[in-house]
Amino acid sequence: MENVVIDFRDVSKVYKLYKNDQQRLLSVFSKKVSYKKKKAVDHVSFQVRRGEAVAIFGKNGAGKSTVLKMITGVAFPTEGTINVEGRVSALLELTSGFDPEFTGRENIYLKGRLSGLKEQEIKELEQEIVDFAEIGEYIDQPVRTYSSGMKARLGFAINVNIRPEILIVDEALSVGDVAFKDKCLEKVNEIMHKDGVTLLFVTHTTSMAQQFCSRGIVMKSGKIIFDDAIDPAIEAYEKSMRKK
Amino acid sequence: MSTISKITKEHYEWRSQIIKLAKADIVKTYSGSALGWAWAIVKPTITILVFWFAFSIGLRMGGKVEGYPFILWLIAGLVPWFFMNEIIVQGARSIRKYKYLVTKMKFPVSTIPTFVSLAKLAVHLCLMVIVIVIFAVYGRLPGIYILQLPFYMLCMLLFFMAWSLFSAMLSSMSKDFLNLVKSVTTALFWLSGIMWDVHKIELEWLKQILLFNPITYVSSGYRNVFIYKTWFFEEPTALLCYCVSLAVMTILAIWSYRKLIREIPDVL
Repeated sequence: MENVVIDFRDVSKVYKLYKNDQQRLLSVFSKKVSYKKKKAVDHVSFQVRRGEAVAIFGKNGAGKSTVLKMITGVAFPTEGTINVEGRVSALLELTSGFDPEFTGRENIYLKGRLSGLKEQEIKELEQEIVDFAEIGEYIDQPVRTYSSGMKARLGFAINVNIRPEILIVDEALSVGDVAFKDKCLEKVNEIMHKDGVTLLFVTHTTSMAQQFCSRGIVMKSGKIIFDDAIDPAIEAYEKSMRKK
Repeated sequence: MSTISKITKEHYEWRSQIIKLAKADIVKTYSGSALGWAWAIVKPTITILVFWFAFSIGLRMGGKVEGYPFILWLIAGLVPWFFMNEIIVQGARSIRKYKYLVTKMKFPVSTIPTFVSLAKLAVHLCLMVIVIVIFAVYGRLPGIYILQLPFYMLCMLLFFMAWSLFSAMLSSMSKDFLNLVKSVTTALFWLSGIMWDVHKIELEWLKQILLFNPITYVSSGYRNVFIYKTWFFEEPTALLCYCVSLAVMTILAIWSYRKLIREIPDVL
């Protein structure tokens, strides 16, 4: 199909749980070491087209983050195939890939370079990112001294400004204050409409997802139990929450 | 085979990032302390003086070696050890240290040990400049033999880059491996002929074993340049044994990479 940017085909992910670190080390050399299997993602298939905004709902441990990690390319599926086209900018958890020893500004450059931007391009974006993050003087302090709100703001500022093609946001907005949240939503809306960015959004706040996602996926114990328009998806999610 | 081509490709495509990350690694190691860069020189200097004191004054062993003052013989073999010592431990730590590159973004993991090694090499090059200056002050420059210094540096870098990849993969799986590495480095130092003259060993079997020890090869190689004035091709057996060790380490590195690359993001 044309314009499919994310394609999951029958993807499963199994985590191996060992009793302790020693057992895990031994398992490298011997197949006899026993471990428990935890199926985090269970035969999941879905496709996302360019420019779509998809919200992913589910309880903690439903496999949302694992799916996002596999899209980003930091985790590998145990079974199945994944196809992702385009530059992925991911905000996985809060401290999204900062080097704690570097200052905020240095981290902008680091992240920019690793995302494949040229030095000149980063220079142009630098001020925009600094202004967006609103962390003032702290931009030249090491990131380890930041509060979690500051980290989230800088992380978000970098990720939306480095011109992604696929933007992944994993619960990162839950720490910012309302004013910053609104600003982020506005920015996300802007890049979605202007640049046709594809968005994947994990959240527990259904009202926020409603604002700019057109499609919702509900996950439960590693499986997709619902995948349709956003409103019925929210209904299905709330129903599954009530049922326990 | 496909693993080798994948690693090579990753290194080629990310070559400019590797250099930048190596620079960043140096900055990171030395920033945040008042003396900053000076530590790169202060620490080895203290170690050299302590050993010189212990051996020359304490144990009274500091006679001349091949007509060279003991201190010159000492630094010729000890300075490459500083690099090897750093890389044995820091190389093994490299992927753990740069966790965020593995778990938070898509990044070629095989290049992490490489840029950490290159960062350490830069510090080593600075120290070697000082070593050459010291030899010049004593009026004992090695002359034409200095040409083979890059050869021994390359030998050292290749082996320890392979080591870094192998050990970093294993220590990301388990901290036990990292602790094991830390606890054997001191033993390696005393067993590898850095503080004593390998040429004076009379036990034949020990000589044989040391031939396969790359630490001994590199350290003796540096002394071949500065003290013994021997070309590397004059010792073909040693070179061959080193190549065998390098091949074994490379195979181990590739084996561990292939086996663990998919699991590391899940455990870090």
